[in-house]
Amino acid sequence: MTIQFLLIQVFNGLVNGAFYALLSLGLAVIFGMLRIVNFAHGALYMLGAFTAFALGQLLHLGFWPSLIIAPVIVGVVGMLIERGLLKRLYGLDASYNLLLTFGLTLLTQDLVKQVMLSKFAVSSAPYTPPDSLSGVVNLGFTMFPKYRLFVIGLALVICLITWFVIEKTRVGAIIRASTENPGVTRAFGIDVSKWVTGVFGVGVGLAGLAGVMAAPIYSVDPYMGAELIITTFAVVVIGGLGSIMGSIITGFAVGVLAAIGAALYPPIANTLVFILMAIVLLVRPSGLFGLPEGTR
Amino acid sequence: MTAPTDALSQSRAARHNRAAWLVGLGLLLLILPRLIYPVLALDVLAWGLFAVAFDLLFGFAGLLSFGHAAFWGTSAYVTGYLLGHGQSVPVAMLAGTLSAGLLAVPIAFLSVRSAGIYFSMITLAFGQMLSFLALQWTDFTGGENGLQGFARPNFMGLDFSNATVRYYFCLALFGVGFYIAYRAIRSPFGETLKAVRDNEQRAQSIGYNPNRFKFTAFVISATLAGLAGSMNVFGHGVVSLDAVNWKTSGEVVMMTLLGGTTTLFGPVVGAGIVSLLQDRVTSSNLPTGIVTGLVFVLVVLFFRRGVVGTLQHWMRRK
Amino acid sequence: MKKVNLLLATLSLSAAGLAGAQSLSLADGGVKLGVLTDMSGVYSEMAGPGSVKAAQMAADDFMKSHKEFAGKVSVVGVDHNNKADVASNKAAEMIDRQHVDVLLDIPTSSAALAASEVGKNKKIPVIVVSGGTTALTNEKCNKYTFHYAYDNYMLANGTGTTVTKKGGSSWYIIYPNYAFGQDLNRQMTAAINENGGKVVGSDATPFPNTDFSSYLLKVQAAKPKIFGTMQAGNDLVNVVKQYNEFGLKKQGIGLSTGLLGEQEISALGQDAFAGAIATVPWFWNLDARSRVWALQYKKLYGKLPTYMQAGVYSASMTYLNAVARAKSDSGEAVVKALEGYKFNDFFARNAMIRPQDHRVILDVYTVQVKPKSAAKEEQDYFQRLQTIPAAKAFTPLAESKCKM
Repeated sequence: MTIQFLLIQVFNGLVNGAFYALLSLGLAVIFGMLRIVNFAHGALYMLGAFTAFALGQLLHLGFWPSLIIAPVIVGVVGMLIERGLLKRLYGLDASYNLLLTFGLTLLTQDLVKQVMLSKFAVSSAPYTPPDSLSGVVNLGFTMFPKYRLFVIGLALVICLITWFVIEKTRVGAIIRASTENPGVTRAFGIDVSKWVTGVFGVGVGLAGLAGVMAAPIYSVDPYMGAELIITTFAVVVIGGLGSIMGSIITGFAVGVLAAIGAALYPPIANTLVFILMAIVLLVRPSGLFGLPEGTR
Repeated sequence: MTAPTDALSQSRAARHNRAAWLVGLGLLLLILPRLIYPVLALDVLAWGLFAVAFDLLFGFAGLLSFGHAAFWGTSAYVTGYLLGHGQSVPVAMLAGTLSAGLLAVPIAFLSVRSAGIYFSMITLAFGQMLSFLALQWTDFTGGENGLQGFARPNFMGLDFSNATVRYYFCLALFGVGFYIAYRAIRSPFGETLKAVRDNEQRAQSIGYNPNRFKFTAFVISATLAGLAGSMNVFGHGVVSLDAVNWKTSGEVVMMTLLGGTTTLFGPVVGAGIVSLLQDRVTSSNLPTGIVTGLVFVLVVLFFRRGVVGTLQHWMRRK
Repeated sequence: MKKVNLLLATLSLSAAGLAGAQSLSLADGGVKLGVLTDMSGVYSEMAGPGSVKAAQMAADDFMKSHKEFAGKVSVVGVDHNNKADVASNKAAEMIDRQHVDVLLDIPTSSAALAASEVGKNKKIPVIVVSGGTTALTNEKCNKYTFHYAYDNYMLANGTGTTVTKKGGSSWYIIYPNYAFGQDLNRQMTAAINENGGKVVGSDATPFPNTDFSSYLLKVQAAKPKIFGTMQAGNDLVNVVKQYNEFGLKKQGIGLSTGLLGEQEISALGQDAFAGAIATVPWFWNLDARSRVWALQYKKLYGKLPTYMQAGVYSASMTYLNAVARAKSDSGEAVVKALEGYKFNDFFARNAMIRPQDHRVILDVYTVQVKPKSAAKEEQDYFQRLQTIPAAKAFTPLAESKCKM
């Protein structure tokens, strides 16, 4: 195995890792505030890609405006889900939220499929990146598509901004406070339930953003999020739901490790993430960055 | 998981109630192949036992497994493989059932140490891993072709080419599986399990090791799921990758919720409703996900007691 | 009800016996075609409701040309959800309860094999059109199962042979690591070697998979003349998308595919596929005769037919003609009438039903996808490169593993 080959795999892995990181980051933000795991995260990622596609078809919006508008739309859908549905389940065991969002996943996927078929007469559709990002760049050791480099870069920037906002700003302080002690936070005159809705919207918006970013690489397909969300769950288990930075690092790292592993021994490609998960569970049941008491 | 009702509480009324359900459901199952297509009736049995097995873990141990297709499917493949290699029906089904229990040992060991949502994610991930393995290990699973066309040799004079005979054979196995689940829940073991579910710290403080109970419950549940999986293969004469798909894991969750968790009979009723519903839906062009997803959402939001739970609730109020 | 049917059947059978082979003997008074297909899943566009429509069209056309069957042929379409156990269940139920006389279409290999098994046990013909597995005419063949249209051998063999002969001497192949992909890779490699070409590299990829970049980078480094992808469906769409993204086309590396349908091309856009070479059993504007039928279909159904849907029409017609020849719809009689039968229709040219393995052989076509600028009309996708005669298109009998 040459250094060149290894470097190529690292870059490939970073692209996949970018999506793992964005998705598990969104899951972590939501989990931090609401203590629930959003199964529909994969479906909302798909909804982001589909929205970008639909905006292009119906309003002739290009990639750049869609990159901003589609995640906002997905975020709003998320807030409606939180207000309208999840809210009814807050007194109950967190499993019910998982079940509800599982049902939403099945529903969303097939609804989008129906819309795509009836409105656009396709069951999956391509999405072209802007001209400024098409073509390849010479990295010295290989030719690499420009758009993929952009995905790695943008994902890193978004992840770091999210981390900064939550860990270092006043807004983040309020979020963390309402997570740790909603009663006291309320006493300071802060409407915790509004913050909950907002945070859910942002977490889901991150999934929508990942979806738009994924559209030019993979096709827009109603089931594009189904398998990805399961892999992302494994990534989350590896990292632990405890920390924002943890989910970012784990996302990228798992992406790179999986790419290298798959290149060395292709049959293992699909299962490697799960094997990693089993090993981590054996050594550190609460995940690499998770806190033991955070498991419930 | 705090269940909305606990139908197995010890009162006398509850015991009568339970006997009434047992007799009613038993009679219904006895005449089922007269009412609906026998192979479909067999589906109700297999999925019903699968759901009972699932609820043993979900309802009574508070562990929501999203990867139970792994056990159902592993047993299905082992059973199908052995039937294809000339083994008799009882041997193949027994081996299938045991293989599911065996597979559960490492998975249970790794997953019961985590609780709540973590447990669900871990089981989901292991289930997915197994479905990738099944896809690749074509010598054993037949890959996307699956396994079919294996013999179901007659056993003790029973003609297994007749779907009705297969049904009653499976009904006997269903009875055994159901009884095991029932005994497990009604025993001191089951009581401890519920204590762990309701308050793990307290159970621990009076000297129980919660993880050991969860582990045992997991393995029993997986083994019964395996028995159900082998029944399904025996019934249809087909195994395919659907047996290990994550949607299969989701389906059994839905059946259990719809029928009513912790009601013991509920999962069977749920399985019956879903099987019949799906049979109807396949005759229309409606995508199954829209129907299934909607049922899921509505049940979780408004109907958490499930069909049997709601009926029992009404009866108790009277 | 059942008893009455049985009685009627016995009566009509004995009547047929009395009258000699002249009068028509149909159990329960009519012929029912059962289309077992995927109504809402991944194959619903290429087969699905469109296949049911095709069978209905065949039934109507047949009744028009055969007066003695007027009002006696009906079609029922059933969804198998792409699941083998549902397919097995539904196949049995269609035969036992709805009294269908033949099962048609059946996409998804495991579902097709499951239905074939049911047909064998119940002595009802099963004509697989949309399922591609060669197992149907090899180790899993049986007296009642027929395989129409395409199969994996035909796809790989046709493309491998034509492209290599036309100068595509060095190949890099990637294939999804499951039976379908492994099968295609094996056939394709054999065809390339046989025609003097060389496979310089091949990789098994995970399935399903969305990201093929690492393989494409290896292809880029190996600089073959032809990049062969054995992926299908969505995976194929992603491979081709990334093949363009990584600039392989611009570097002059040609593209050949295993299974290519109209659906993938419309999903990704014609230009992304432009230049790609594949083998198909039929396409709608193949020639004047095909066009007439395809436009008729479009008039009734609103969409141009895929080759699977056209195949269902042709298979239904072939079946009904066999019933007419046998003057009976009993499985046994129809199978006898089908075996060895030679025919020609808008879909199947120089066709013959091989009695040894029940493979329906027909001329197939190696095609190249036209660029959008060369398309003269809607869905004008394919340029015919080569016609592969029926006798050479499918697994040679000597290699068949079928023991009937």
